[in-house]
Amino acid sequence: MRLRTFFLISLAALGAWGVLLAQKPFKQYAGGEDGDIALPSDYQKPAEWISARLRYRDAFRRGGFRGFRREGAWATDYPLGDRHLITGVQRLTRIHARSVEQTVELDGTDDLYNWPFLYAVEVGQWTIDEKEGAQLRDFLDRGGFLMVDDFHGLNQWQIFAEGIRQVYPDRQIEDLTASEPIFHILSEVDPKVQVAGLAALYRGRTYEQESDPYPRWRAIYDEKKRIVVAICHNMDLGDAWEHSDEVSYPADMAVVAHRALQNYAMYDLTH
Amino acid sequence: MFEFLFKYPLSIYRQGTFIFLAGWPLWLMGLGILVAAGALGFLIWRQASGTARMGVVRRASIWVLQTALAALLLFLIWHPALSVSTLKPQQNIVAVVIDDSTSMTTDDETSTRKEKAVKVLDGGLLKALQEKFQVRLYRMSDHAERIDKLDQLTANATATHIGESLKQVAADASSLPIGAMILLSDGSDNTGGVDLETLSEIRRQRIPVHTIGLGKETMSRDVEISNVDVAARALPESRLAATVSFHQHGYTGQKAKITLREGSRIVANQDVTLKAEGTEQVETVLFNAGAAGVKTLEASIDPFPNEENPRNNRVTRLVNVDPRKPRILYMEGEPRWEFKFLKRAVEDDKTLDVASILRTAPNKLYRQGVCRPGDTAHPQVNGKCTEMEDGFPTKIEDLFAFDGIIFGSVDAPYLTKNQQDMVKQFVDRRGGGVLFLGGKDSLSDGGWAKSAAADILPTTLPDRKNTYSFAGADVELTPEGRDSLITRIEEDPNKNVERWKKLPYIRTFQDPGDPKLGAVVLANFIPREGGGAKRPLLVTMNYGRGRTAIFATGGSWRWQMLQPVADMSHEMFYRQLLRWVVSDTPRHITGSTPKTLLADESHVRLRAEVRDKTFLPASDAIVEAHINGDGVSEQVVNMTPEPLEQGVYGADWTAPQTGSYIVEVVAKRGSEEIGKDTFTFRREDGIAENFHVEQNRELLEKLSAETGGQYYKPGDAQKLGKDINYSQAGITVRETRDLWDMPAIFLLFLGIRGAEWLLRRRWGVI
Repeated sequence: MRLRTFFLISLAALGAWGVLLAQKPFKQYAGGEDGDIALPSDYQKPAEWISARLRYRDAFRRGGFRGFRREGAWATDYPLGDRHLITGVQRLTRIHARSVEQTVELDGTDDLYNWPFLYAVEVGQWTIDEKEGAQLRDFLDRGGFLMVDDFHGLNQWQIFAEGIRQVYPDRQIEDLTASEPIFHILSEVDPKVQVAGLAALYRGRTYEQESDPYPRWRAIYDEKKRIVVAICHNMDLGDAWEHSDEVSYPADMAVVAHRALQNYAMYDLTH
Repeated sequence: MFEFLFKYPLSIYRQGTFIFLAGWPLWLMGLGILVAAGALGFLIWRQASGTARMGVVRRASIWVLQTALAALLLFLIWHPALSVSTLKPQQNIVAVVIDDSTSMTTDDETSTRKEKAVKVLDGGLLKALQEKFQVRLYRMSDHAERIDKLDQLTANATATHIGESLKQVAADASSLPIGAMILLSDGSDNTGGVDLETLSEIRRQRIPVHTIGLGKETMSRDVEISNVDVAARALPESRLAATVSFHQHGYTGQKAKITLREGSRIVANQDVTLKAEGTEQVETVLFNAGAAGVKTLEASIDPFPNEENPRNNRVTRLVNVDPRKPRILYMEGEPRWEFKFLKRAVEDDKTLDVASILRTAPNKLYRQGVCRPGDTAHPQVNGKCTEMEDGFPTKIEDLFAFDGIIFGSVDAPYLTKNQQDMVKQFVDRRGGGVLFLGGKDSLSDGGWAKSAAADILPTTLPDRKNTYSFAGADVELTPEGRDSLITRIEEDPNKNVERWKKLPYIRTFQDPGDPKLGAVVLANFIPREGGGAKRPLLVTMNYGRGRTAIFATGGSWRWQMLQPVADMSHEMFYRQLLRWVVSDTPRHITGSTPKTLLADESHVRLRAEVRDKTFLPASDAIVEAHINGDGVSEQVVNMTPEPLEQGVYGADWTAPQTGSYIVEVVAKRGSEEIGKDTFTFRREDGIAENFHVEQNRELLEKLSAETGGQYYKPGDAQKLGKDINYSQAGITVRETRDLWDMPAIFLLFLGIRGAEWLLRRRWGVI
C-alpha cells in the first residue's frame, strides 16, 4: 500500500471514529405533532442538562419512519411538549437546562450515550428489536435514565412490555409506592392523580382505555434498587406539558406533570 | 618506598615534630645561606667573566646549584631530627578489635572475612605486637566484648556498631594504658557510621585507631535492595505503590523479578531489566492494600543462581491498613451529570463515605449520606435528620468532622466569609483535602479568586469570567501524571499514558489559570475545536497540613457513558482521586514512630500529635501509649510533651523481643477522651548485617585519618608491627630520630653535584 493511500485511509478511519464518538448537533424535525415551530432564541446556547427524546421505530407503520413525510408516534406532543417541560425545569429548578430537546435514535452509534436523560412517548406503539434493545440496555447500564409516557390500556401495555423485554428480559416492572423518593425529591407528587390526555378530557374522563383506566406509576429498578426506567402508564404527561399554557387544560394536572418530570430528572441526577 | 627514602614510615612524620638538634639559632643558618650565596656568586662571576662559553644564564644555573648544595650542607650541620612519642615496651596495651558480625562470614572467593582476619593476626602481627605490648582482644558486634583467644570469634553477631564499640574500648583507656587500637573490620556499620562524639572522644585520648580493611570493596555478582518506600498507613482496598530502590553488580542488562508478598501470598510482581553496574535503580510496584489490618509486606528480587549475597535481596515493611472510612462532604451548586456520575463512581468504594448537599432549586437543598448510624451529634427530630439541614456547615466542629470536601459548581459567595475561612482552615489546620471541580459557577466564574479560600487553590485563577466552556476536550497525562497513583488506571505506566489518550473527550472544561509554586499538574486538556491551547486539567498541591486539587471539568461523566459498562476507568480515577483527598487527613491523635521496622535494634521512639476538637494543638493532654506485642503483655507508657513542638508528645521504649507491636495512643483532657490512634512497628533481628556487605573503606580510612592511625590492606598489615610504636596515648617516651643520614639527602646531594657536572660537560667548561 502506498504511503498516501495508507494516510488517506487512516484519516478517513479517524474521522469515522470521531463521528461515532462525537455528539450529534441539535435538529428539529418538521413532522412532529406541533409542526415546525419557531426555535427559541437561545436554542444554540449549550447547557449542562439536555432532555432527549427517543425517535423509535413505529410498530404500526410499515417501513418505519424513514419512508413517510410525517414523523411517527415518537413525535407525539413534539416539540412543544419538550419545550414546555424544559421551561418548567429552567424556572423551577437549578438544573442548567438547554432550551431545546435532543432527538436521539437507537442507531448503533455512540450518539445516544451523550444524552443520559431520555424520554419516550407513546411507547404503546413502539417496536424495539434485539439490537436496539441491547443498545438501550447498554445505555441504561452505563447510567442512563429512561422515562416513558402516554400509552394506555392493556394492549398498548403488551406492546410496551414486548419492547422493554428486548432491553431487560428478566427484570420485573414494579408499581411505585407513594413513599418512593422520586415523588418527593424536589416537589410533592401525588401518585393517585391521573394526568389525562387532552382527548380523554374532551370525552369527559381522565383515562383513554377501558381495559385499564387507572393511573400506573411504575418502574424498573437496577440491581442497586435505583429506578432506571420510569413508566407513566394510562397517563399523558406529554399532553399536560404541551398544553400547560392553555386555559382548557386543567392546571392541577399540568402541575403534577411538571412536578413529576422535574422529580424524575432530579432523581436521575442524584441516584 | 617512602620509608626507604626517608628512613621512617610516613606515620612517624605525621605524629612527630621536626626539630634541629644543633641548638644554634635558625637565623644563623639563614645568614650562612645568604653569605654562601653571595660568596659563590662573586666567585662564579669573576671566574667566568671573559669566558665566552659561560653566559649569564649558565652562570646563574651554576650559582643556583652550588648555593643549594651549600644550603643543604648547612641544613645538615644544624642536625635535623624528628621528635616522636613512642610507646614504652611492655608497659602499654594494644586493643585489637575484631568485627564478629555476620557480614564477616561473607565469602570473598578465597576465604571468609573472619578467616582472613584470623590469618592476618596469626600470620605474625599478633606475635609482633605481643613482643612489645600487652594485647587485649575484643570481639565487636553492637558492643565490644573481651575475648582471650581468636577461636572465640563466632561471626554471628547480628549488628555492627563500630562507634559504640570503640567508645567502649576507649572508656577502658581511662583506667588502662591503651596505646593504640587495631580494628579489623569490613566497615559495615549498621548505624550509618561513626558519630562525631565518638571520634572526638577517641581524639581527646589521642589513641590512634589503625584499621585493617577486610572484604571486597565492590561485589562481583550481587543484587541489593537498598530501600523500599511504602506508605505506613493506607485505606482498605486502596491501591498503593511500593518504591523499590536497588543496585547490582555483575548482572547489567539481565532480567529480574520484583515480588511483593504478604506472608506467602504474592500481592504483586514486576519484571525489570537491570541497569548499569552500581547505578541506583528505582522501580514502582503497585499493589492493593487489601482488607484492614497490619500487613507485613516483603519486597524481594529473585536471587540469581551464582549471587554472592542473596540475603540482601529482600526487605520487609509494615503497612497499617486502617479500617476507618473517611467522610467526604460533596457540596454541589446545581443538579448535573458530573454530580451523579461522580457519586456512582465511588458508591461501591467501601473505604469512602460521601455525604452530599445539592442545591436543587433556588430555595431547596437535597441531602444524601447524612446522619450516619450512630451519629449522636445530629439527632433526628420528628424522624428527620438534622445534619446540615441548613446547608454547608457553619460550625467549625461540624466541618472538621469531615476528612475531605468536594466543591462542585458552587459559587464562593454562596458561602459566608466565615465559611470560606473555615474551608481554608480545614486544609491548613485540620489537614483535610479539598477538591474543586469545574463548573459554570466554579473557580473564576464562581468568584473563588477573591474568596477567603483563594490561597488554598493550587492555581492562580484567571482574573476574568466565562472560563467554563461547553465544548469537548481531549485529555493527556503529564510526566508527573504518568507516575501518579491518582491517574493510574492501567498498571503499566506507558500503557496508562496511552489509555488516557484514548479516553472519550470530556464534555466541558474550565481554564483554571496557572499552577502555583509547588503545585503539580497531573493532566492537561486540549480543546478539540478552536485551536485552544493545552491547559491544566488536574492540578494538586499540598497546603498547610492538608492538600487541594482542581479537576477543571464538569464533563468527565462521558468517560462512564461513552465506554463499555465493564470499563472501570471512570470509577478508578474518581476513587483514586478521592482517596488521595482524604487518605492522609489526620485524626485528632496521630501516633507514629520514625522507623516502623527495627532492624537489629530494640529502641523505639514513640510520637503522638494531639489536637483538640477544633484541631488546635492540645498541650495539656494526658497521653498514654498502650503497647501490645507478640507474647508481650500490654505495657502502658506515659508520653511527655516535646519541649519545642506544641501538642506533640513523645516517649522512648525498648522492644524486648522480635515480632510485631501494636501501639494504641490515647489522649485525654481530664476525664474527657480527645481521641486515640493505633500504629504498628516490628522488631527483626539478623537483618542489618545482610546489607552493605561491601567493605566500607571510606569509613575505615576516615576513622584512621581522624584519629592519627592508618588504614591497611590485609597484605600490608604486618607493617603495623612497627608503625604502632608511635603513639601519643598510653605510656610513652619522647625519642629523637636523626634525619641527616636518610637516603633522600644523600641522593639529593648526588643529584645536585651530578647536575652541575652534566651541565658543565655539556657546555665544555669542566
